[in-house]
Amino acid sequence: MASCTQQKETTVGMGQIAAGTGPAQLKAVLGSCIGLALYRQHQETAVFAHIVLPNSSGQGGSPGKFADTAVPEMIQVLKKAGVSTTGLLAKFAGGASMFGGVGPMQIGQVNAEAVTEALKKAGIRIVAQDVGGKSGRRVTFDCQTSEMKVEQVGANPKIL
Amino acid sequence: MTANTRTIQPQLEVLHQLFASATHDASAAMCRWTDGLITLTLDEVREIPLENVCSELNIEDDLLTMVILSLEGDLGGDMILTFDEKNGRQLVASLLGREINGEAEWSELEKSALTETGNILGCAYMNALTRLIDHELVPSPPYFVQDYGASVLQQALMAQAMTTDQVLICRTGFHREGEELNWRVLFVPTQRMKAAMEGALHSAP
Repeated sequence: MASCTQQKETTVGMGQIAAGTGPAQLKAVLGSCIGLALYRQHQETAVFAHIVLPNSSGQGGSPGKFADTAVPEMIQVLKKAGVSTTGLLAKFAGGASMFGGVGPMQIGQVNAEAVTEALKKAGIRIVAQDVGGKSGRRVTFDCQTSEMKVEQVGANPKIL
Repeated sequence: MTANTRTIQPQLEVLHQLFASATHDASAAMCRWTDGLITLTLDEVREIPLENVCSELNIEDDLLTMVILSLEGDLGGDMILTFDEKNGRQLVASLLGREINGEAEWSELEKSALTETGNILGCAYMNALTRLIDHELVPSPPYFVQDYGASVLQQALMAQAMTTDQVLICRTGFHREGEELNWRVLFVPTQRMKAAMEGALHSAP
């Protein structure tokens, strides 16, 4: 299970879950994957997952890889970090259709839908999201402010 | 196939032989296309844990210029030709016999020169693999993209990520008159493609 980092910047790799507190910033570069942050208002501890695929279908492996296994695991990580898991909030970004939306593996939209469904099942409110399109995203979640910065090539950065 | 399946070392070695042969053909095609200027060498064929793939290949949030070819048909896989801005511009200037364009936007002619490079490389690579595995591989038309390298690589890894946490990648480097260039070809096969390559090598006389 992920431990809680205070490191200024932590890059979260594909299928990984990382928790951060205080000034920690949790980062990921996303294409069709989803970067999902869970946090509580006015608490400076958050957990971030770099979700690759929608459903585990009972497969083993890293829980952060799939939307259906990442959300319950993230809740456990927050519990372990001493964060009450009632009133959790979610922000997420990603789910692009890369390669110009052509090719056999356009899974971005399905990923975004699966994350929405997993959050609904866990009773977690979605505060903001930035999904879809045909471009990659660089996402940075600030544990102190609960802001998610989303950067895309050729566009102004967005703050969720 | 389970999430923990790994390719054992002897299999990686035979895959390396197969990719080395395909790279040789692609290098000959590239050499003809650039009037003897550019050659290719196979850098590595390896499996990398999914979570580390971008950091280990040093492809993260760098903005790259890329040409992508996907394999059509039942086996599947993706080939990504990557350049940094400077090297992409240099190649195009040399192909078009012009000075390097300092404009921010790439012109249609420049994009076309780069996608044609991808096409020539991709076809040479796929023709060699077709011969080696005795299964026809047809690449899609090349697609030009400028984006974060990791975002594009992620998409190519999806098919492997569905069945394994270890992804197989073949990486090829480029040289100009012996000097290494910041260009790469990444070939990411699907699990089916990987199995077909291994099968072909095991059944070879």
